[in-house]
Amino acid sequence: MDIDDLPSGHTNASSTVITPGETVTDDPQWMRGHGTFAPTDSTLICSTLAGTLQKTNKLLSIVPLRARYTPEIGDLVIGRIVEVQSRKWKVDVAAPLLAHLPLSSINLPGGIQRKRTSVDELNIRSYFSEGELIVAEVQSLFQSGAASLHTRSLKYGKLRNGYFLAVSGVGGGSGVVRARRQIFSIQTARGGEVDVILGVNGYIWLAKHVDEKREEVGLNRLEETASSAMYSSQNDEIGVETRQEIARIAGCVRALIEGAVKVEEETVRRAYDAAVELDDFEGGLEIPAQQRGRNIVQVVLNSG
Amino acid sequence: MPLDSSTYSLAGLRVDGRRWNELRRIHGECSTQSASDGSSYFELGNTKVICTVNGPREGRRAGARDQSNAANIECEINVAGFSGVDRKRRGRTDKRIQEMCHTISSAFTGTVFTHLFPHSTITIVLHVLSQDGSLLAACLNATTLAIIDAGIPMRDYVAACTTGSTASYAANDGEADPLLDLNGLEEQELPFLTLGTSGGDDKVNVLIMETRVQMARLEAMISVGLDGCRQIRSILDGIVRAHGKKVLASKVS
Amino acid sequence: MPPFTNIPLSPAELSYLHTSLSQTPPLRPDGRSPTDFRPLVAETDILPSANGSARICFADGTEAVVGVKAEVERSLGLGVEAGDGDVDMDEEDGGGVGLGERGKKSRGRGEWLEVAIEIPGVRDDDALPVFLSAMLSEALLADGGLKERLWINARFHWRLYVDVFLLSSPLSYPLPLLSLTTHLALLSTRLPALISEKDEDPLFNDDWEASLYLYPRASEPAAQTLKPPFTLLVMSVGENIIFDPSREELSVAESVLAISASPSTSISNSNNNNTLNMVALRTIDPPSRLTGSAVPNSITAGGPSLTSAEILALREKDQGQSVWRPPRGGIPRALVSKMIKMVVEKGGVGEEVLAALAGVGT
Repeated sequence: MDIDDLPSGHTNASSTVITPGETVTDDPQWMRGHGTFAPTDSTLICSTLAGTLQKTNKLLSIVPLRARYTPEIGDLVIGRIVEVQSRKWKVDVAAPLLAHLPLSSINLPGGIQRKRTSVDELNIRSYFSEGELIVAEVQSLFQSGAASLHTRSLKYGKLRNGYFLAVSGVGGGSGVVRARRQIFSIQTARGGEVDVILGVNGYIWLAKHVDEKREEVGLNRLEETASSAMYSSQNDEIGVETRQEIARIAGCVRALIEGAVKVEEETVRRAYDAAVELDDFEGGLEIPAQQRGRNIVQVVLNSG
Repeated sequence: MPLDSSTYSLAGLRVDGRRWNELRRIHGECSTQSASDGSSYFELGNTKVICTVNGPREGRRAGARDQSNAANIECEINVAGFSGVDRKRRGRTDKRIQEMCHTISSAFTGTVFTHLFPHSTITIVLHVLSQDGSLLAACLNATTLAIIDAGIPMRDYVAACTTGSTASYAANDGEADPLLDLNGLEEQELPFLTLGTSGGDDKVNVLIMETRVQMARLEAMISVGLDGCRQIRSILDGIVRAHGKKVLASKVS
Repeated sequence: MPPFTNIPLSPAELSYLHTSLSQTPPLRPDGRSPTDFRPLVAETDILPSANGSARICFADGTEAVVGVKAEVERSLGLGVEAGDGDVDMDEEDGGGVGLGERGKKSRGRGEWLEVAIEIPGVRDDDALPVFLSAMLSEALLADGGLKERLWINARFHWRLYVDVFLLSSPLSYPLPLLSLTTHLALLSTRLPALISEKDEDPLFNDDWEASLYLYPRASEPAAQTLKPPFTLLVMSVGENIIFDPSREELSVAESVLAISASPSTSISNSNNNNTLNMVALRTIDPPSRLTGSAVPNSITAGGPSLTSAEILALREKDQGQSVWRPPRGGIPRALVSKMIKMVVEKGGVGEEVLAALAGVGT
């Protein structure tokens, strides 16, 4: 396989499968990227994964068929708190190591900006306790590869009013992809607006859209204010139609996964429209089951 | 006694009709279980093994293993009561099973790039559905497939097989043929060893022998074993490629 | 990769799910109707070295394999007259194990059945495998028919080993999966045909084609529609009854029952409307009780700091209306009888499940 013929670029990968231990090339002009290694005292580049070859200028890397999510700086992720320590939380983000969320990286309710005191540490569980879901951004990476998260923005924080969904096997093209918009809302047929948050780590959150009541911000106080109820676990009133629409979108996402289609804003919207059309065609509201799921994926692919 | 009878010396055929250097039928599949990170199903003749791999993920016992700079590989083997001809319930503390677990985890600790995932744990669980000889070899091969399926980087396949000798220890027969890939009956009667290679033809990763054999015959057994491992490696490679092709074909960009 | 299995969902999620399931009709997160089962893959006779075997794979990835092996064992003085054995042997054609009639002293023994469950990552003496194996063997022995089939003659009997292997770590309560797989495995179990007569040492036909099914098929003369039982997991939220709950649905259940049923063996049961008999019923502690209470809006951080006593009082007053609270109390009797009825009645859920399983591997 001639590597020079392979078009360069992030989205282009050859269709030949490379297996671990296989020599990719022995030409010294190439540099080793992710998924390759050089055996000691040799100029060979060998693969460590089963996947396809990807060339970016002079860098060769292997895109695995299936791999766990590895955090990168700037990723928007959804995580579940699994451990509460004295000054930080440990969060499960489907990565090899648990991510850290330090107490100093969250917004205090009411928009207060102050140094965290020992009283805050004692009340740490009143902010987040075990089992809670949060949406956050990866701020930095430790040397071990563990992520450090922050929620210092109004669009991050505790999640409520909705339903959680997990997608497995990020990598290789299907699963959730890093895109420009990970958070968007769908105006549904009967249920109002539904927020969709696609975490890059494969965790997805669907919720009823609720307008946060903001306190009046004068021009002098330009920093973002957080409402005092931001750490509440209390759901708002969610109507039956909204719940049905949320279940329908969840079914669309599952159908996309099974059809090995990338999950991103574009495909989710198309799948939802297809589901609505199919329902109108057949009459009545029905949530996608297996065959319907395949029909929906078909429509999505055809319109793509 | 499978080989004491004259059939072997007459026609050179073993109990199941194979010659001395033939492998049994091998069948393998990747991604058989969607609930785990990587999984595989491997058949070596009538020995059937299912392997699931989970990880790398945060170790369950935080604190105790935090100090290592590399991933920790844990292995667990469950042998079904219905796997042998007689139904026999084997506990997890069986010494033989413990030794197999340890062999598998140390074989893969050397092959997998564990330093890329510090403080984490990779858990390998093997289920033995049916055994008919070469159990450790089948487990190693199944684990290789499952680890590749999970997308955990490793240097090379770990391919394993068993070799034995046609004459027993006491027979003092220097001309005895070495045998490749012993089945259950042969393992009970003849001396045999399990051989695993990784990273090239001569790089032996695993070598376990529980019986006794005379030194003079060892070299022949090992060279037959290396050849067998080479064959098994190419078979495993074929399984992974076929699986990869299927995955890529079903993916839509 | 699903999240940590021993961490419950967040209070907001629990409250959302609970309210969805309390609607009329209940809105399940995957859109199923209350009696819809998830799709599954099932196959039988996958292990040639076992008397019977089956494998079932649920849609969420959990998988189980069951192998059934039978060994001849010497009976220890059961005190059964040889006369009984004679009559039944002559009635059957070609030998095999006589079924006996109702009213005769039953000859089987419960100890002849051994159910062993192996779950990865869990010790054998842990509560879960012990409880599950007790449930499965209780259901299997309940109608007495199985014990009779294991009787060979006065001196020997079959010992049946049912080995249940859960291949994935238990994401959701594994009871229905294991019970359905056991049902299929037992349906496909065959025992060698008996050649010897009466009480002499048992001698069997080497020809496997001549072997007889442990649970006879409809075409065989001894068939009285004896079938192994199966166990279903049923949960309730408010007045709603939900079958085949997924893990997240279980975590908001107010009560969970495991109902074992098998087809009625007596034909004279036509006076009532049931095609199945309930053979066992056990309550399961709903995992929802292990969840934590939520924080109502009135007690969020940043407000006036309250003592823990005041917080508790506020929660109690709220009574789970606005935020999630683990369910308390038991299950009303009317609901229990309604659940049982839904399983055993004609055209009910149990019949559907049986029909679906019967279609596998035949």
